[in-house]
Amino acid sequence: MLGKLIFQNLQKFGFPYPIDKSVCTSWAKDIPRGGETIIYTSCMYQTASLSDVFSKFIPYAEKLSSLSALAKLIKPSKEEIERAYRILQNISLMLKRRGVQFGYLYEDEPYSGAILLELGYLDEFGEYAKIVTDFFKQKGIKRIITVDPHTHNALLRYKEFTNFDIEVVSYFELLGNVKARIQGEIVVHDSCLYSRFLGKREVYRSLLNSSGVKLVEDELVTGKDTSYCCGGPIKPVNRELSEKIARLRVEQLKRLSENIVVVCPMCYANLSKYHKILDFAEVVE
Amino acid sequence: MSEWDIAVERTINNNVPRVYKTLSQYPYIQDLAKELRKAKLEVLNNLQKYVEQTMESVKRIGGNAYYATNVYEAREIIAKIVGKNKIVVLGKSMVAYEMGLREYLKELGNEVWETDLGEFLIQLANEPPSHIIAPAIHMTRERVVKLLREKLGVEVSENATHEELVAIVRKFLREKFVRADVGITGANAIAADTGSIILVENEGNIRMSTVLPPVHIAVAGVEKIVPTFYHALLEATVQAAYAGLYPPTYINLTSGPSSTGDIEMKRVRPAHGPKEFHLVLLDNGRVKISQDEVLKEALLCIRCGRCHLHCPVYRVLGVNWGVPPFTGPMGAMWSYIVYGDTKPATLCTHSGNCKEVCPMGINIPRVLEKIKWIANDKERNKT
Repeated sequence: MLGKLIFQNLQKFGFPYPIDKSVCTSWAKDIPRGGETIIYTSCMYQTASLSDVFSKFIPYAEKLSSLSALAKLIKPSKEEIERAYRILQNISLMLKRRGVQFGYLYEDEPYSGAILLELGYLDEFGEYAKIVTDFFKQKGIKRIITVDPHTHNALLRYKEFTNFDIEVVSYFELLGNVKARIQGEIVVHDSCLYSRFLGKREVYRSLLNSSGVKLVEDELVTGKDTSYCCGGPIKPVNRELSEKIARLRVEQLKRLSENIVVVCPMCYANLSKYHKILDFAEVVE
Repeated sequence: MSEWDIAVERTINNNVPRVYKTLSQYPYIQDLAKELRKAKLEVLNNLQKYVEQTMESVKRIGGNAYYATNVYEAREIIAKIVGKNKIVVLGKSMVAYEMGLREYLKELGNEVWETDLGEFLIQLANEPPSHIIAPAIHMTRERVVKLLREKLGVEVSENATHEELVAIVRKFLREKFVRADVGITGANAIAADTGSIILVENEGNIRMSTVLPPVHIAVAGVEKIVPTFYHALLEATVQAAYAGLYPPTYINLTSGPSSTGDIEMKRVRPAHGPKEFHLVLLDNGRVKISQDEVLKEALLCIRCGRCHLHCPVYRVLGVNWGVPPFTGPMGAMWSYIVYGDTKPATLCTHSGNCKEVCPMGINIPRVLEKIKWIANDKERNKT
């Protein structure tokens, strides 16, 4: 069973699939270790591009487990990993410039368990949520700054399964105001979770709006309840469906602007196959 | 672009802005939707009581009421009423499709015709419906031209307009309505206090199916029961608005067989319309679901079909997502409720658009998450 396998991998590798943990941590250079407030990546940006590779392995999941040593060698391309690191470094820099103090857990940083939740493995997710919550508490963490919507959502769901009372905040909620690094018109592909589940749609939109770029909107493409998913969450279940949704979404967005901006690493990874995609943290500072 | 891509894009462009416009032009509809949700929840929390009340009410007004625990029982009940060698006209009903009624009655030697234009096209093409209120949305105009030409053997111009195509079907079905022995419909809502059923439509086929034949049979899931006559009217209003067809051309009310009070104000049945009225209430998994706090939300669905047109998975997979007639986000829930099929739920991307646009406020992704969990739990117990 996939859920059981993911859970086992989480215990063994600290990630849903075997991975060299240095891929997750090498972006951070001079961030203090630990502390009451941490920036929490859940290794999402760093491994988003691998979701494509690993979705191909899912039908052979049981074998993948026995080939874990080999699977551990699978890494994002140099270009992909450098870009992910730049995004995380930009986020970190923006926070620091605004006086936000935070630490980082480096190789101790656990994965959030989001994939278990999103695939409906609620028992495994609940069990894992307890482990992560205990770990955060042992570390004395009081506040978590998330950088992606899947992690943010997973943490907020912890309280359905365990006594999770740590403050969770998205990094863009701490920015106040930002300046655009690019000029002209952009179209925002909303994260489904931020937009429709977490109530953050207006936070990043208003930051972009005041940054100097012009957001192009269309009721049927970028409306709160009309803007589509990138297809990413369904990739582990049905690659073909995921890719068709992504292709369709890019076609819709391109009609409005060539500059497509996302706020989620999974959207970034899934849509990037069909067009050049920019992350929020690449277009503002 | 595939035929499906073309057809669904045209449908979305026609329908979605129209619903927004309706909701803004008639702001009271959103309040009615909230009121309806409360009333429907009241029924779901006391389902047995309301089923009993409904059956008593139907009998009190001269009709016959039946309760079927599964589709086999329901089909048998209906088959006994219909008999053999009859002409049967059907109004579009998901429950009739759920029980395979059309084919079953045909096997018994009856001539059976769908009368909703979309469902009629589906019948001619021998295909499953792709959308709950517009079952033939996967067919382009060009496809309909070809279909009518091939199946009805009539002259249809390559460039026939939408209006001309509708007129051809009108002519064909008129003769069936007049000769029909039995009319079978679904029910958008059933009032427990009066035993009345409400049907919303635009074409006029429901009116003819419920009035011209001497026997009218309504089939509906138990979740269609609402506490009062007033709530049944609310459901018709809300359903039409969120389906993008507001005001609906017709709202049909049926309370028992036809009647008159014209001689000394004494109410006498029948009059000009049907001599018999039968209501078949179907469980088929619904009662069990009503006892689950998360899943029971699915039973609030009023079948407006709005969630379909906001869903990225439906946009890509169309009729191939869900077990017909239960397609789309609502269909992913209902495929589990009535067929026990958990697979459609596993294809939900939890985009959340469906929960945003659902008039009943159903958190569809949360319901589908629970169904995914059920699927995983079954899998877990196997290993």
